[in-house]
Amino acid sequence: MLQRAKIVFRFELICLALLVGLVPAAFGQSPNTFYEIETKYIFGFTEGSGIGLEGEKEISPDSVTSIGKRTGSYVTGQTKLKYEFTPNQFMQFELGPIVSWHHIRNVTDLDDVNRFSFGGGFVEFRYLLLDRPTSPVAVTIAIEPEWRRTDETSGQHVQNFGLETRINADLEIVPKRLFIGFNLLYEPETTRDAAGAWTNEATVGGSAALSYRIFPSVVVGAEVWYLRHYETIGLSQFTGDAVYVGPNIYVQLNNKMFVTAAWNTQISGREAGEPGKFDLTDFSRQRIKLKFAFEF
Amino acid sequence: MSTSLRTILKVAALTAALCCFQALAALAQEPVTIQISVQNHQFHSREIRGPANVPIILRIKNEDNAAMEFESVSLRVEKIVAAKSEGIVRLRALAPGRYEFFDDFHQETRGILVIQ
Repeated sequence: MLQRAKIVFRFELICLALLVGLVPAAFGQSPNTFYEIETKYIFGFTEGSGIGLEGEKEISPDSVTSIGKRTGSYVTGQTKLKYEFTPNQFMQFELGPIVSWHHIRNVTDLDDVNRFSFGGGFVEFRYLLLDRPTSPVAVTIAIEPEWRRTDETSGQHVQNFGLETRINADLEIVPKRLFIGFNLLYEPETTRDAAGAWTNEATVGGSAALSYRIFPSVVVGAEVWYLRHYETIGLSQFTGDAVYVGPNIYVQLNNKMFVTAAWNTQISGREAGEPGKFDLTDFSRQRIKLKFAFEF
Repeated sequence: MSTSLRTILKVAALTAALCCFQALAALAQEPVTIQISVQNHQFHSREIRGPANVPIILRIKNEDNAAMEFESVSLRVEKIVAAKSEGIVRLRALAPGRYEFFDDFHQETRGILVIQ
């Protein structure tokens, strides 16, 4: 019997294939001139500095799927059903529920789970600190309080509170064509397990991304992420790190719709005190991001 | 509630409050008004000029029989202006530079705001 997690994952693969197929269509319908473009979603997992347009609203399913541990079968993911709005020319808000799914079988240190559930909710506040042309580099700070009732990694029922904090920066190397993006990430979390015990953890890291606009409606790029995981909020007990690399694509379908996808694979990493090439306890071997957005 | 959770919430609330205060202060300056009009899906003047570091009010007069959506990525605004009517867009104080704008319903309708 097909598990729902597998169905969701296969649906994402189909969407990715459709996305690749949409590139020629997007090229065919777009004007031949390269106009200004929003940079927020053109770098894959790395986020650009864009905060949208004053008065603009957007809804989007934004999915991240994690695949692969050292043993067994591991496919998990979460979809943020986002509502974004920009109340003025300085800030943006996002909020919505989180849907999560877990297909875990025969993975060391994790119980088998096959579950599709309401995972929690989030609110994100983005504030533009620096913008072009005042500065060549545009910088936004993003703060995202999150609540989860399902553990992201194990799929077990918990009460988890996190505060994902990011600095999103980008730079136009060639105006309207070639962009570089940078992210800094600090995400402290506190979790109460089923027994009532609280534990803390934190993820810290950074990324660099390069994206090129091959057609007016299509941007392709690649990114690299370095992430470190700690068992304390104060970053004192290191448990492992990972380096991800991978490509991404952004397609503007029409003036109110776009889709973006990214794939990252762990190419290097280590677990504290463990042999092996990767950190597959704190991080997955691969991750896929897929987002469809409708502006209104 | 754990100490860590309280710290997380305090940091989030303080940062949000500081950013809101800065944004409101920037919008409180005295603005300059600039008129733009659109006819036959063309801006009357393709290039308009405005002062730097002063908030600007754009009064957009749509003389066509169809609605338009004034939009700009770099100005970070969008505004639907009904047929035969006027819309108002308030811009923050801008740094010197060139800011593209267009009609999102008729993408060939374009202009530039030059800030000096």
